[in-house]
Amino acid sequence: MDNTLKLIVLDWIPSQSKVIDFGCGDGALLKILSEQKSIIGYGVENDPDKINACIINGVSVIQQDIDAGIHNYKGMGFDVAVMASSIQCLRKPRDAMKNILKVANECVITLPNFGNWELRLGILNGKMPSSAQLPAKWYETKNLHLCTIADFEELCREESFTIKKNVYLNRKGKSSWLANKLPNLFAAQAVYLIG
Amino acid sequence: MKINTEKVSFVEPLALESGEILHGFDLMTETYGELNYAKDNAVLVCHAFSGNHHAAGKRDGEKKPGWWDELIGDGKTIDTRNYFVVAVNNIGGCHGSTGPATPNNESNQFSGASFPEVSVSDWVKTQKLLADHFRIDCWEMVAGGSLGGMQALQWAISYPNRVKKAAIIAASSKISTQNIALNEVAREIIKKDEDFHNGDYLSKDVSPKKGLKAARMLGHITYLSESNMSKRFGRRLQDPKNKIDADVNYEVENYLQYKGEQFANTFDANSYILMTKAMDSFDPAKDFDNDLIKCLQNIQAKLLVISFDSDWLFPKEYGIEIQMSAIKAGIDSSYIELEGDYGHDSFLFYSEQYSVALTNFLKSDG
Repeated sequence: MDNTLKLIVLDWIPSQSKVIDFGCGDGALLKILSEQKSIIGYGVENDPDKINACIINGVSVIQQDIDAGIHNYKGMGFDVAVMASSIQCLRKPRDAMKNILKVANECVITLPNFGNWELRLGILNGKMPSSAQLPAKWYETKNLHLCTIADFEELCREESFTIKKNVYLNRKGKSSWLANKLPNLFAAQAVYLIG
Repeated sequence: MKINTEKVSFVEPLALESGEILHGFDLMTETYGELNYAKDNAVLVCHAFSGNHHAAGKRDGEKKPGWWDELIGDGKTIDTRNYFVVAVNNIGGCHGSTGPATPNNESNQFSGASFPEVSVSDWVKTQKLLADHFRIDCWEMVAGGSLGGMQALQWAISYPNRVKKAAIIAASSKISTQNIALNEVAREIIKKDEDFHNGDYLSKDVSPKKGLKAARMLGHITYLSESNMSKRFGRRLQDPKNKIDADVNYEVENYLQYKGEQFANTFDANSYILMTKAMDSFDPAKDFDNDLIKCLQNIQAKLLVISFDSDWLFPKEYGIEIQMSAIKAGIDSSYIELEGDYGHDSFLFYSEQYSVALTNFLKSDG
């Protein structure tokens, strides 16, 4: 997770809250959150190398496949759930979203925007596009359900997920005027606080 | 690696969970490496059901090294160049610590079946007295597998400020009905041996070895996995030259006969019964309205819960239960599930992932 994104999440998550990070990677976000906002954090991860990185980082981690496990964390008193760049990797993103909002009062979701002009150009070129946010080749990508900002926000409206806050970031990971004016075309990434 | 084997005597009476009093006791201990000046590099390893204080290294004339030798030593997972590792034989055992087979100080008689019932929390209490003896204020880590993992958990519950990290491996917060049932069959087999004499066999100078052997054979099957047994023995017939028993047909039979016999020659039947009873009754939540979450709430140590995929005696659901309760309690706890080739016994053996996880946990900030 890059720095701008970390700062946004750090700002949104209240001090001393109980946080669960689905697809927590090496636990870097949880580590910063516990250092700077005294949160109680748990990561869910299924990659053994990343789990080891969490352990050495001193971050509490649970080895589990997210697809199989979100609903297990209901009723555990989480204030915030984080799902950074992994919603599109899940088998059933819509169900996952519904479950996440049962696990925690609020959730932070970051999303690579498939509607970004660079990717649209790639498609126009007749090839599966790639970008800094979506670097993997089509045959080795973990992404199953890529979507655009417009698609995701439509889903939120349909399912009555309230978008409490959002930030759109350009290809450099910065919040720019253009990315906020026409996010579906110019944002490379979107960050949401959903309740 | 510096190894020191020492019997430590405690003269003060020990109040046991059962209400009985043990009037002083000995703990057989073995340590590896050196305690540093600050006394903050100490690791306690707790043995499983049939283990003892001999956790690592090889003694003269010994065929096999200590039970956790694959993980403890210079440059190993628990690196004895950096850590001072302490292993004990628990009371009620039969490898030098006070137990049913040690002669009573006053009468010089074996206590045998009259040796009081001991519990996991009693063991932890004696280990805490040992920590005091070594002037270790806080263990860097307490670790163990199976019944040893239960002790690690109990440590974190009983003495929150005296343990920084607890590695709870192939264990549970209480054993299943099926486990109790299996233990009862083993006990029954021992008790029905004509040489058992209600537990007073030592005064008659006999030993219920046949019962002990059969009980161990049953136990041994539960420590392995089906796939491991198939891989190791298949349906191969035993070479007639090496048959332990004339009636043996298959290699697996011969193996169990051999393991059972070896065990019966070195283990005490009353200890076997006592240890299985301690395992059956382990349930730290019982002092907290049967609420495991409440029970874990005061823990200050960081936990690492490890389960093995081939373990059917203590399956992963047990590890997950501890982890989920720890999350509800809001304490630091991680859960990992490892591939293990050896069923329940996987916790005894080195694997890269297992080793990396434990090393990282030990090194992580407390």
